[in-house]
Amino acid sequence: MIDARNTIVVTGIGVISPYGIGLSVLRDGMLRGQCCLNPAEELYPGFHGTVAAVGALPSLTEVDRYSRTDRLAMAAARDAVADFTGSGSILRESGIVMASTVAGLTEIDPEISQGPAAWYQNGGLTRAASYPVSRVAASVGEQLGILGPACAVSVACASGAMAIALAANMLLDDAAPMVLAGGSDALCPFTLSGFNSLQALDPEPCRPFDQNRNGLNIGEGAAVLVLETLDHATRRDATILVVLRGWAMTNDASHPTAPQKDGIGLALCIQRALEMAACGVDEVGYVNAHGTGTPLNDIAETHAYESAFQGRSRPIPVSSTKSYFGHCLGAAGALEAAITISAMQNSALYPTLRLTNPIESDQVDWLRGELRRQPLPMAMSVSAGFGGSNTALLFGRPRA
Amino acid sequence: MNTTLPVITGIGSVTPYGPLAGLIPTEASLQPSAITAWSTPGLRRAFLVEPFRPANIVPGLKTRRLDSLSAWALVAASLALRDAGVDLNLMDRSRIAVFFATGLGCVELTMAFYQSAAANGWAGTDPITFPETLSNAPAGHVALFHDLRGPNVTIGSKSFAAESALLQAASLLRHGQADMAIVLAGDTLTQAVYEWYEVAQLLDPACFSQEPLSSAPGFVPSEGVVAMVLEAADRPASRPYAALGAGRWATGGDASAGVRQLLGDLQPDFIIYSAPSASSSSTCSARDLFDERATIFPAQTVAAGMGDSGGLLHILMALSKRPGSGQALLLGTSAHGGYAALRLELR
Repeated sequence: MIDARNTIVVTGIGVISPYGIGLSVLRDGMLRGQCCLNPAEELYPGFHGTVAAVGALPSLTEVDRYSRTDRLAMAAARDAVADFTGSGSILRESGIVMASTVAGLTEIDPEISQGPAAWYQNGGLTRAASYPVSRVAASVGEQLGILGPACAVSVACASGAMAIALAANMLLDDAAPMVLAGGSDALCPFTLSGFNSLQALDPEPCRPFDQNRNGLNIGEGAAVLVLETLDHATRRDATILVVLRGWAMTNDASHPTAPQKDGIGLALCIQRALEMAACGVDEVGYVNAHGTGTPLNDIAETHAYESAFQGRSRPIPVSSTKSYFGHCLGAAGALEAAITISAMQNSALYPTLRLTNPIESDQVDWLRGELRRQPLPMAMSVSAGFGGSNTALLFGRPRA
Repeated sequence: MNTTLPVITGIGSVTPYGPLAGLIPTEASLQPSAITAWSTPGLRRAFLVEPFRPANIVPGLKTRRLDSLSAWALVAASLALRDAGVDLNLMDRSRIAVFFATGLGCVELTMAFYQSAAANGWAGTDPITFPETLSNAPAGHVALFHDLRGPNVTIGSKSFAAESALLQAASLLRHGQADMAIVLAGDTLTQAVYEWYEVAQLLDPACFSQEPLSSAPGFVPSEGVVAMVLEAADRPASRPYAALGAGRWATGGDASAGVRQLLGDLQPDFIIYSAPSASSSSTCSARDLFDERATIFPAQTVAAGMGDSGGLLHILMALSKRPGSGQALLLGTSAHGGYAALRLELR
């Protein structure tokens, strides 16, 4: 017997990515195996790296008030509710949980540090208004006329997935009839410079889980999921895309930036999501990994999968879709949740691009080369980030 | 689902009142102090945290390379755990969550990073500073120092980041996703933040003179971090301050209707106002909702000066001054039409 009031479902997905606007555009690009990573030099002269930028950012009337991150979030949110057919009051009372790491940093110049007052007086004041991370959620609310509870999550690269987990909790609490949850982050010199200073960037297109991996590439984009309870979705006759069967959050408490070497914290996170869903390790057909391409992350993550999925009858299929359009930071977890759902809808397990010499593991089935077609009743998306945070989201197909 | 109300069992704070475990001494009164950390074009005042050495409060704490927000979060969290009398060695640390609310995050080191970019170009920035600019660095450091391996969340919410963090942390406990949560809320005041407020003409005239606080529009900026230990239920030997009941927050809509729905038939004994101020029109209209016998704790200037993250300091100040136990409502209204309401059972 399904407890419809405590079952969380996804009824809408909005995406803006380097492929363009919409999940179907993203899906088609990935099915073609198209890589969106390009030399950063074109956008950021003097910066020798590789990035993936969004070219199809729609213009807005009052662009001054919104950062590029805000605008990406608003575009994804509009796309998420494009097919919404419920009453206006449902949308108006909905909640918003939007993740971001960059937020309005896109609009701030280094000159601010030389004299803040002068910078504000010379046009910076309006731009600074988009600085607080809460602005990303507020912008989505303003765009769609949503007046319910709104908050932003900023947990580095685990943010987007965590926004979805927190939104699910809000629905269990009946805090809102629906919650729009996701993440948005734009390319900006601040983060490119930061990761460059850490020597975490691969100057070439990244190679997640490859033994010769050399770091990550930064991308940009946004994804927003419409979440509601099964009960609510059924009552308004909404199309149910997937069920969020389980979710969990843990912390490594190991190092400010590096993951725990043995992946114990991430493994615990995966196990807790499986426990919430009352799901066995053999039931999961695919893991969309965090898979940044950095030497430390990918080996820790491999250990986490070996530990969390111990006892499976066959290796767990894993891929990193960051190989297509880079690491979108606070948006990554939400974009990868959308990709995981797309994989389930299309029975398509997206391979990791450029994975020629994978990390050795007899418990992980590295997806590489050709696209694999197989029914996918249940799949997981996994995220981790600086500060040690981990999040796992487990999606299942809705019952017929 | 756990139907027992989560309980606040420990409080720690680093605020203009100093680093404190537990309540703020009721005799403590505060005036804004002159800013000396950067050069100002004349007198500029704010509610400031006096410099102190964190390792003197929490032995073993190393904060030299951290943003003040991270350092204060570490001290406040440690003091809250000390106040709660929690022995972490007896607990499953993978079931202890950290929830951090902030309006602006680690602005001190963000500005330092911009300084290094201005001086050396984007190719010459400091790798040690970068991770400490992230908003979740304070929560990460709290987890690292105390080996807390449960959910670790940093959020922002326009006007109501602290209230939102409390509600969401309570939700984790209710749904069995954690047994304990350390909820923190705070912000730091830097030159860039202060001048932002000043250029935007948001400040109280008292910021520019030795005059007492006025009733003119504007606020006096403040800074600090408040931490509260939230437990799933009363623990033997714990000294609960308050139990957390239901709550809600919204960015708009009918605040009165929302609060009425939340309260049902309950008439609170105490009303604790949070942002922005007791004299604002939106707050006064909400006041019409309540029985006149209710004791009102007006919004506190020092807490209101913290903006989005001031909610926990409002609660702490009300707990410090309350005359007894009873049902309370934390009520915040924002100039933008939003509200936050939270039921508290004061113990």
